[in-house]
Amino acid sequence: LSFVLFLLFSSYVSAQTVTGSVTAAADGMPLPGVTILIKGTTNGTSADFDGNYKIDVPDENSILVFSYLGFETQEISVAGKTTINVLLNEDAQALDEVVVTALGIKREEKSLGYSVENVAAEELTRVAQENVLNSLSGKVAGVTLNNTGGAGSSVSMVIRGAISLSSDNQPLFVVDGVPIANTLNNIGGFGDRNPVDYGNAISDLDPQSIENVSILKGPSAAALYGSRAGNGVVLITTKRAKDKEKMKVSFSSNTVFDVPYRFLDSQSQFANGYFSFSPRSEGGSYILPDVIPAGGNGGPELDKGYYAVQWNSPLDANGVPIPTQLRSYPDNVREFVQTGITTTNSISISNSTEALNYRVGVTALDNTGIIPNSDFKRNSFSLTASSKFSDKLEASTNVNVVHGYADNRPASNRGTNPLQAAYSTPANINLLDVKDYKLPGTDIYNFSDFYENPWFLANEVNNSFSRFRVYGNFALDWKISPSFNIRSSYNLNSFNQTQETKMAPGYLRETNNGTYGIAKTDGLETNIDILASYTKDLGDFDMTLSAGGNLMYQKNTGLINSAASGAGLIVPNLFTVDNIAPATLNYSSYTTERGINSVYALANFGYKDLLYLDVTARNDWSSTLPVDNRSYFYPSASLSFLVSELISIPKVDLLKLRAGWARVGNDTSPYQLGAFFNNNGQWDNAVLYSGQSGLNTPNLEPEEATSQEIGIDLNMFSNRLRFEGTYYTVENRNQIVPNIPIPGSSGYNSVSINAGVLESKGLELSLGFTPIRTENFNWDVNLNYTTNESTILELSDGVDYIEFWSENKSVSRGYIANAATGEDGLVGNIYSPLIKRVTDVNSPYYNYPLIGSGEDAEWLAQEERVKVGNYNPDFVMGLQTTLSYKNLSLNLTFDWRSGGQYMSQTSRYMVEDGYGQQILNNLVNPGISEPGPELKQWVLDNADLLIYGENFLSIGGPPGDGGFAQDLGGSVVYDGIFNAGVVGTHDADGNFILENENLGEVGTAFLPFSVANPWEFGTPHMFDADYVKLREVSLSYDLPSKYLERTAIDNLSVSLYSRNIMLWTKDSEFGIDPERAFQAETSSGNRGTQFKQGIERYNVDPWLVPIGIKIGVTF
Amino acid sequence: HGLEELNENPNQIGSENVDPNLLLPTVINGAGKAVVGLGFGDIAGVMQHTQKDGWSSGHNAYDWSNDSHSWNSYYTLLTNNKNMIEKAEADNLEFHRGAGLVMKSFLFGLITDLWGDAPYSAALRGNEGAEFFDAVFDDQRSIYEGILLDLETANSLLSKDQGSYFSIQANQDILFGGDVAKWRKFANSLALRYYMRLSVKEPAWAEQGIRKLLSNPQLYPLIIDAADDANMAYVGNTSVDSWPTNTKFDADSQGAYFRIKMGATLVNELQELNDPRLGVWANKIDIPLVLDAGAPDGTDEVIDGERHVAQDIVDAYEDIVGFPVDYDKEYVGLPVAMTFGIAYNLSENLNQGALNLHVSQLNDIYKEANGDLLQARLISAAEVNFIKAEAATKGWVSGGAEGYYNEAIKQSLNAWGVGDAYSTYIAGPAAYTGPEDILMQKWIASWSAAAESWFDYRRTGIPNLQAGAASKRQALPLRFYYHIDEIDNNKENADAAIGKLETTDFKGDDATNNSAWSKMWLLQGTNKPY
Repeated sequence: LSFVLFLLFSSYVSAQTVTGSVTAAADGMPLPGVTILIKGTTNGTSADFDGNYKIDVPDENSILVFSYLGFETQEISVAGKTTINVLLNEDAQALDEVVVTALGIKREEKSLGYSVENVAAEELTRVAQENVLNSLSGKVAGVTLNNTGGAGSSVSMVIRGAISLSSDNQPLFVVDGVPIANTLNNIGGFGDRNPVDYGNAISDLDPQSIENVSILKGPSAAALYGSRAGNGVVLITTKRAKDKEKMKVSFSSNTVFDVPYRFLDSQSQFANGYFSFSPRSEGGSYILPDVIPAGGNGGPELDKGYYAVQWNSPLDANGVPIPTQLRSYPDNVREFVQTGITTTNSISISNSTEALNYRVGVTALDNTGIIPNSDFKRNSFSLTASSKFSDKLEASTNVNVVHGYADNRPASNRGTNPLQAAYSTPANINLLDVKDYKLPGTDIYNFSDFYENPWFLANEVNNSFSRFRVYGNFALDWKISPSFNIRSSYNLNSFNQTQETKMAPGYLRETNNGTYGIAKTDGLETNIDILASYTKDLGDFDMTLSAGGNLMYQKNTGLINSAASGAGLIVPNLFTVDNIAPATLNYSSYTTERGINSVYALANFGYKDLLYLDVTARNDWSSTLPVDNRSYFYPSASLSFLVSELISIPKVDLLKLRAGWARVGNDTSPYQLGAFFNNNGQWDNAVLYSGQSGLNTPNLEPEEATSQEIGIDLNMFSNRLRFEGTYYTVENRNQIVPNIPIPGSSGYNSVSINAGVLESKGLELSLGFTPIRTENFNWDVNLNYTTNESTILELSDGVDYIEFWSENKSVSRGYIANAATGEDGLVGNIYSPLIKRVTDVNSPYYNYPLIGSGEDAEWLAQEERVKVGNYNPDFVMGLQTTLSYKNLSLNLTFDWRSGGQYMSQTSRYMVEDGYGQQILNNLVNPGISEPGPELKQWVLDNADLLIYGENFLSIGGPPGDGGFAQDLGGSVVYDGIFNAGVVGTHDADGNFILENENLGEVGTAFLPFSVANPWEFGTPHMFDADYVKLREVSLSYDLPSKYLERTAIDNLSVSLYSRNIMLWTKDSEFGIDPERAFQAETSSGNRGTQFKQGIERYNVDPWLVPIGIKIGVTF
Repeated sequence: HGLEELNENPNQIGSENVDPNLLLPTVINGAGKAVVGLGFGDIAGVMQHTQKDGWSSGHNAYDWSNDSHSWNSYYTLLTNNKNMIEKAEADNLEFHRGAGLVMKSFLFGLITDLWGDAPYSAALRGNEGAEFFDAVFDDQRSIYEGILLDLETANSLLSKDQGSYFSIQANQDILFGGDVAKWRKFANSLALRYYMRLSVKEPAWAEQGIRKLLSNPQLYPLIIDAADDANMAYVGNTSVDSWPTNTKFDADSQGAYFRIKMGATLVNELQELNDPRLGVWANKIDIPLVLDAGAPDGTDEVIDGERHVAQDIVDAYEDIVGFPVDYDKEYVGLPVAMTFGIAYNLSENLNQGALNLHVSQLNDIYKEANGDLLQARLISAAEVNFIKAEAATKGWVSGGAEGYYNEAIKQSLNAWGVGDAYSTYIAGPAAYTGPEDILMQKWIASWSAAAESWFDYRRTGIPNLQAGAASKRQALPLRFYYHIDEIDNNKENADAAIGKLETTDFKGDDATNNSAWSKMWLLQGTNKPY
């Protein structure tokens, strides 16, 4: 027994003490936290801040094992030495392998059974973006981004396709542990048709303060964040002081000039008016009827030397307007917009001492938009600090204060949108003539009561806002023992926003002294977390067990006052609530609250460096669900198998197979269970209450998304070739979908219900290679590829389809896949009527278009809608490449979207109102000026194009090019066109009975070309969404340190860059950016906002060439 | 907070807290706006009271389809009304129950009159579960049956003294200020309307009902004096509570007011009758036209507020437009569904929907946001008296038709503030000559509530209106298309109802029986109006 005791005892008797330091071989920097073990035992220590260590070894023959993540492990025999300084070499295999995962836990990437993407700071700030999300474009597989415009706009991020039919599909953002929902609900603005995007939460983040973005794509990665993480999680880690680093001051300055260069394809050939008078019809007088603007852009031809009375004609002595020459002003929009300028200046101080580790940063962003008088400013302050009270207790905090504000955010859509007004201005009017709209002694803000003056809208419709956001946390880490620790934290995210609309008299939809409105909204979310972790290493096995809990609470309040639409103000230009007549004051307030309580547990098991298993479990209790259904449990499991550790394959550095399975539950919004009644305003002295036309379902169940993914990671040739592939499926069951249409006769127009089963499948591939890697020259290429398809498998009883949007006669709906009807069940399908045609196969006119009779000699539309497109892409590819030579580097990021369609309401309105070039492009000139047999024969000769095709081509050029004669009370104009087809009906037996041919013979009905737009149809304004963008290009130069040796400057870099340059669109004529083919709109019924995909309405900034310069200095 | 309390909605009230008084004006308001929306809107175009010269195809030319008219807003109102009735039943509030049944009858009456068969007995039950979303369509006959039964119940619920009702809030009743007796008259007048609606299709049923209502004024009091008209006044504070053509909130020179012109059919009729109401409804033209026969070619000038034109200008115009120039110095209406209405009567302003100096705009009162005459007219004493006159021609009521006819006209003139002109008017061409006059005058009196005269036209073919050159079909439409939303969502039941419609010669290229020119049950086999 004593012998045994001796042995046991002896192992604790130190033979000697060894001290030393551990530094990186490459740069000589100390490596804090290196693990030093005595080989063959579990005894060991770790290096301190300075990389110094001290260890007692049992005998002088002990072998020390130095291991550190990312470095090659070294074994050194003590051999009697008392000082051992070690240089560790970087492990080429393990490049960038540490990633931040759920709950901020850092993990070796190889141990993960699911896909995580990491984007480092340098990638985020190489090219300054006002919104951190924009920096991710093209760089991450599986991610789709949309933004509404310039600085301060909302940005939508969707990971792995829209798997939720009910929400805006935004992932949960977690900034240093603080959950921030990026809901797209900040569309405001008062007054008739004045929608303004004030930016969603992520637009408040300062990209300069971000160290790392980690994207957990599938629910398996997200299972620990609970309900809100069903759409993925974006973990953002902000910069902090590096341990044991001397005081560092960094300064950077960015300036970007956004130069507009491409505009929508509008026509400047014709003046306003509905009829193209020409001297032929006016007896050669060259003086044409007045063109006082009142609608249409199919008037007289410009730049032909014609004269007409125009809006600004001077008056003669008798007060009669004098005709002036009709000229075109094709550059009106170009004249109207300006070069946008954004400057971002940032300074930070960081320091690290034994007692305190801190970083303080301040960033100021100042943007002047391309729309005159539009701006955005954001001042951010951040503080990150941590302090060790003892070896076991560390406190840390992170505080961010952001003030975003603007004097004026431009409106979108139709209405007060200055760009819409600029595009709508008839080409015979010089916009520069109305720039000084406040003419002395007059109150003429517009050149007619039909057209808005864009200068007026830009300067006198002011949509300001001011938003303070405070977010951060306070955390305590208690290391009870080396293997057991507890972390608890309090996280807060709050904002206070004021938005105001001040509208001077002059806007044609607010004719009673303009208008005013103010909204104050406050939001608060707190999260209290506690997490206990226990780590145990059993030789070949190691494991970490954790368990925790979370209490989440949200509260939003609002107070809104505005003048009723059109009712205006008592006194103009006095913007107070008390300047609104009491009977016309709209006022409201609201409060919403929500809570979720959760407990969760996770376990990670590792076997050697070979096999890793992660298991998680979580249970949530949500306040928004019915008592009986409010508790829901969801587990996940994932496995990582490192084949390359098991068998050695030549040239292969890493071969990993991974698989994951997860389930995530989800709740709904507050107050979605009962039947509620609202105050809907007054009628004289009566108060009008009404119930909701959308029906709630009292016994809602939680949503349940089950995902599976498998993947392979392969690195070869010393990591010069890197491949990652992931295939996933997500089955989303019991989705709570609001606003599902039901028959109106049920008494309700829609229902919110657990709607069915949706399945998404997708593939994410990324391939990186390094063709050249030498001391001075390096070339890296990274490619990524994403494809996703979502299908509706089931819908609940009574639900026939889910509607994403309905515009004009076109809709985007999701139906159940049905082989019998040919319905593919895809999410995002767009349906529209086609031209109605003769269906009688025995008729000589079989398949001819049917034309309306009389004045409506236009194509008739089918009653039924058919699928005409889908707004989702077939695939998206990104390409990044970096070329560096010594201190100079060139970075390029490309983004290619292939497939998908969108409908443009902008195009539809532009053609309808006659200023879109498309109206002229859709005319075909037969070269024959009279109706008759010759013309009909020409039409028949071109039947494939004009009769059988769905091309919406009208026959007859505009005046001067062969328009047909039209008689108008006393004048003959030559702007007639016709649509080829037949007038007639089908009898009860389906036989076609012809009333009239409309094929060019005498008797064909002619219409003015200005009304040629087929308004009833969606397809003429549907475009392919394919594009290639140069997302980022930058050239940067780091000044070599030898030039800085005698200065206080440690580092100086300069870069030139540009971003978001459209290179190619498949439908390139019209000039819409397909990336903006969506509409940010507040949907009805208190459901928050969704981005309507695949449809846009004046979401059309000009294409820009940004030119940016960035200077960074570190002291 | 407990999770339970967090989900208590602090912003809205639950159905248990809804006072029926809060819902009553919502239902009246919606119904009133519907009456104006139809009868001052596109149905005024169908019935040729007005015509538009801009954005006119739905108004002038019946260019309707299966996405033109949705009944969803009617059913939404009916849901509110159902909540009101249920609450009133629970609290034993007889006034609110009675008023609720009247409004239910009024709204379902509109639905079946406009579309035909419709969900009725199985409607409004979506809140009971998904199996109730798709409601069967009831036969039109049983809808009228249900309506008449409800009105009978309402008559008895509303038959007590004013003082014996509880919880009436006068300000919340935007129709009658809480006057129970007036609601009772409204109920019975509506019953009279629907019985007469059935008079061709189901004469025996109609006769029995009309005799019942007209033979016992104590038991079935009716609206026989314009002071009791079921009118809702527009308020005029905001765009939503103002008369739809007001220029206070829509000052656009091509706005709602400017798009609408007086219809030639009505103007000509009123001029023939020397009708004092013409001046109430219409403006005189701004500039009369004068043919200067001897003037040199090309003469076209304004002298002393009149535009003088030479013969050649008139010839060229008439040749192209196909209508003679109207030299009337006071009122000129726009012909029905004419091509190039913007150019009518030598107009030089070729912008659609703009002021035409040679065609009558509506009276300036219709530019106002509110006013004594700017009312939604749900049913009137004039209508009740016209029905009595019509019943008299059938021998279903004692007394001669002429007396009721005269009384009806008198009540209409009173309603339009020109009661003083009654004796002159009735002594003129408007004097009673026969049964057709009743429906002609009823058509006139339905100004701004023209839906009712459309239903009369369907039943009687009076007035004998013709479609215009640009009309979609060469006959007046008979109903609204079932809307595609209902068809898409309630397909089986909608298809069954569509199958029961009877097509006419004017079906055109409508793919199914769901045509505005198909006959609903009420018109099938009646040979009316065509």
